[in-house]
Amino acid sequence: METATLEKVLEENALFKGLKEQHLRTLVESATIVRFEPGDVIFEEGEPAHRCYVIRSGKVALQLESYRVEPFTLMTLEEGDIIGWSWLFPPYRRKFTARALGVIRAISLDGRQVCERCEQDHDLGYELMKRFAQIIENRVEALSVHLVAVEK
Amino acid sequence: METLQGILSAHPFFNDLPAPHLETVTGCVSNVRFKAGDVIFREGEEADHFYLIREGKVALRIHSERRGPLTILTLGAGDILGWSWLFPPYRWKFSARAIEDTRAFAADGKCLREKAERDHDLGYELLMRFAHVVEERLEATRLQLLNVYQDQ
Repeated sequence: METATLEKVLEENALFKGLKEQHLRTLVESATIVRFEPGDVIFEEGEPAHRCYVIRSGKVALQLESYRVEPFTLMTLEEGDIIGWSWLFPPYRRKFTARALGVIRAISLDGRQVCERCEQDHDLGYELMKRFAQIIENRVEALSVHLVAVEK
Repeated sequence: METLQGILSAHPFFNDLPAPHLETVTGCVSNVRFKAGDVIFREGEEADHFYLIREGKVALRIHSERRGPLTILTLGAGDILGWSWLFPPYRWKFSARAIEDTRAFAADGKCLREKAERDHDLGYELLMRFAHVVEERLEATRLQLLNVYQDQ
């Protein structure tokens, strides 16, 4: 896919809306096209986290699993949603498992590169952190609602 | 006498925050006290502050239709309370109630948000720190949820 197209996909994503063109171009430098087949594990709880994914089509289950516990789905994400942010903080390990529920077309961003760019350019850093913090917050809310529902 | 800025700079949350930014934050901070039982903020209300707890204990609660308020986390000295002032719609997702007499620094989040919007160096520093607080909360809630599942 051409760089221009990648930039267009990112630009049209709600998360990246309002980013300056130069910032979008910076993100495109860290972006690659990826595809997953139904049932594929996109990433697994506990493993090192390097990338995030912008879903272009298909549905992804964000799951929680641990020994003695059957995996359960915390939420289902779809077109336009972003998965993966654990590359932002030590210990840089996945908190959830992401599983493709169908064919997934996505754009993958290299987390380390994005972090470096944010460190160098706080305008970009500010805009991106505002967005990623909100994603994490959204997961906290989903976990809390779930907790309330299951706690005796 | 220890200055407010001196006390704040010793807190891990403000670790390595450049002096001019710390000064800005200090300008938005005041001392507050809550008696045991006081409501610090309520779910759904406008979120315009965050708190750095100096002494005491605060229960973070979420309302369950079925069982009323449920405590999801207890915070104490050194903990940061509140991040909803950072993201639209700027409303509290949880309620906070002092369960012991509590002393805290209250920071005017609305004022900081506006300053961060103008000064992205400050904004980046603050967002990195708050994103980390949100991430720690996520981990605490995730472990709590896994515990509930393992106990069942």
